[in-house]
Amino acid sequence: MRLLIVEDDAPLASGLRRILEAEGHAVDVTARGEEAVLAATHEKFDLVILDIGLPQMDGFEVLRRLRSGGADRGGPTPVLVLTARDAVEDRVRGLDLGADDYMVKPFAMPELTARVRALLRRSQAHGGPRIAHGPLTLDTVARRAFLRSEPLELAAREWAVLEVLLARVEKIVSKEAIIQAVAGWGEELSPNAIEVYVSRLRSKLEPAGIKIRTVRGFGYMLEEYK
Amino acid sequence: MLLPPLAALLAVGAVVAYFPTVEPATQAYDQALVDIGLALGNHVRVTPTEYRFDLPPAVEQVLRTDRFDHIYYRVMSPSGLEIAGDVELPAPPGDAVAHNTVFNGEKVRVVSVQSPCGRSACTVLVGETMVKRDRLARDVLLQGLFPEILIALATLVIVWFGVKRGLQPLERLSDEIKARASGDLRPIDAAGAPEEARPLVGAMNGLLEEVSAASRRQQRFLADAAHQLRTPLAGLQAHTELALAEPMPDACRAQLEQVHQATIRTARLANQLLALARAEPGARSSASPIDLRSVAEAEADAWVRQALARDVDLGFELEAAPVDGDALLLREALSNLVHNALEYSNRGARVTVRTGRRNGHAFLEVEDDGPGIAPQERVRVLERFYRVPGTPGTGSGLGLAIVQQIALSHAAGVFILDGAAGGCRVGITFPHG
Repeated sequence: MRLLIVEDDAPLASGLRRILEAEGHAVDVTARGEEAVLAATHEKFDLVILDIGLPQMDGFEVLRRLRSGGADRGGPTPVLVLTARDAVEDRVRGLDLGADDYMVKPFAMPELTARVRALLRRSQAHGGPRIAHGPLTLDTVARRAFLRSEPLELAAREWAVLEVLLARVEKIVSKEAIIQAVAGWGEELSPNAIEVYVSRLRSKLEPAGIKIRTVRGFGYMLEEYK
Repeated sequence: MLLPPLAALLAVGAVVAYFPTVEPATQAYDQALVDIGLALGNHVRVTPTEYRFDLPPAVEQVLRTDRFDHIYYRVMSPSGLEIAGDVELPAPPGDAVAHNTVFNGEKVRVVSVQSPCGRSACTVLVGETMVKRDRLARDVLLQGLFPEILIALATLVIVWFGVKRGLQPLERLSDEIKARASGDLRPIDAAGAPEEARPLVGAMNGLLEEVSAASRRQQRFLADAAHQLRTPLAGLQAHTELALAEPMPDACRAQLEQVHQATIRTARLANQLLALARAEPGARSSASPIDLRSVAEAEADAWVRQALARDVDLGFELEAAPVDGDALLLREALSNLVHNALEYSNRGARVTVRTGRRNGHAFLEVEDDGPGIAPQERVRVLERFYRVPGTPGTGSGLGLAIVQQIALSHAAGVFILDGAAGGCRVGITFPHG
């Protein structure tokens, strides 16, 4: 994947670059907002990592231009905002302007790489018919699942639950959210029913190392595949 | 406060009323004595050999008779010989024609009258006890003072009501200021203030504006400081983590591991100091109606990932808990509680985050089944930089102090209770909502 890092702190920028390159991405780095806008206008990036506290043109302005200008050819480029300012306003403004995720500095590198993977996966999932998660592949067009290339039998409800969880890897999905996504019009689904589907999914996926965590009193979380 | 000057004014008033009234009365009474003296003088008979005083008893009776006072007299010849009367009656000194003195143990007024005796003049002294005069003086004083006291009392009442009424708007103003939440630096509404207090309100608003400008400057400084501190820390953390991924000698790795831990601790400490400063009185900027439940839900992902890394079962029991508060600060408080519970729990422990309402009070709390906090330590752990002796880990001792500070800035209270399964239950109860 092609990534653009917009960060004026040289040590942090070089650290991020090396980490993301180690993940197998092609990474460009710029310290200036104007350059970032220019680069994104001429080339297609799969993800932009954008620091808010830039000199001259700040990250908010860069984000605004990325979103309003013709920079988003072929679907919006996901933007992960980095900020040292954790004031609510910063976050809200960032998300209102169309940032896809944000991280407050300093952050652990595994956290960053996990977020990057999640954003890339999400943007790929928009266009592509295939969702991959470790050894698991979902072909959403043919509605067929594979585990280590072996066909995996999934009931319709199990498929629906898995799809919801796959869309939000490493995030808690509440039982209510799953019910809403899975239940048809005018249909009543109890939280207990969801538990049954999740437990069936677990028995099918856990042998392959794919873990669905129960978050007590809240919902479920599909763990990052390691 | 008004009494001493009023009393002085009364005294002056009494004196001023006294003399003009008593002075003519004294002269009139003296004139009566002079008349008696002249009448007595007519009874002196001058013979070639002597002065004779012939006063028929009936006349003496009339002259001496008075309703209130005793009359005394003394008649002396031009050469000073005693002719008749009370020889002991003291004459006025020198050229004076009247004086007050004491006779027979009583105060008396004595006048001296020159009465023709042949070619010369005899001296007739007429004395009178002072019962009438004293009574007159007393009456004058009392009659003068009584209305004055009435007026003074009326003045006091009027002034008291007037001042109280006049100060009422000021009292309302001071009540309004007292009722303000700590950190409320909005200008005072001058419209309700009385005309006289407007300059005062203006001056106070000027001061409030300065204070809140200073507070805003401090906020900006904090934000800048946060940025300046966090970005290099992020770089440091990135590079140590990168380096740790490389092959290297074990000794080297152990040391780099220490650097990495120190970086994470420093980052956390910086965050905590900023949180503490943000929760300072006067810094609270954005109180709005929020639900503690959504505060907890918003951060649940991050907490669950931390809990998974520590193999802790983090659960949630979230009910609606509406409060007026600063979402950022409340999330910081809850994060600190969760972090503490995770930090001091063993592998396989159970930690539960709760929000809701209890006895009408919104609350948030985190319960763990860890070692707990001994009752005698429960006050001290809220102090800044205090850590219970023997506590493992590398905490700064700021977590609960931040929770306490944030609770205070919301007029809320921190509680530390025993957990249901050992450990403890720490949280914040809000006053209303």
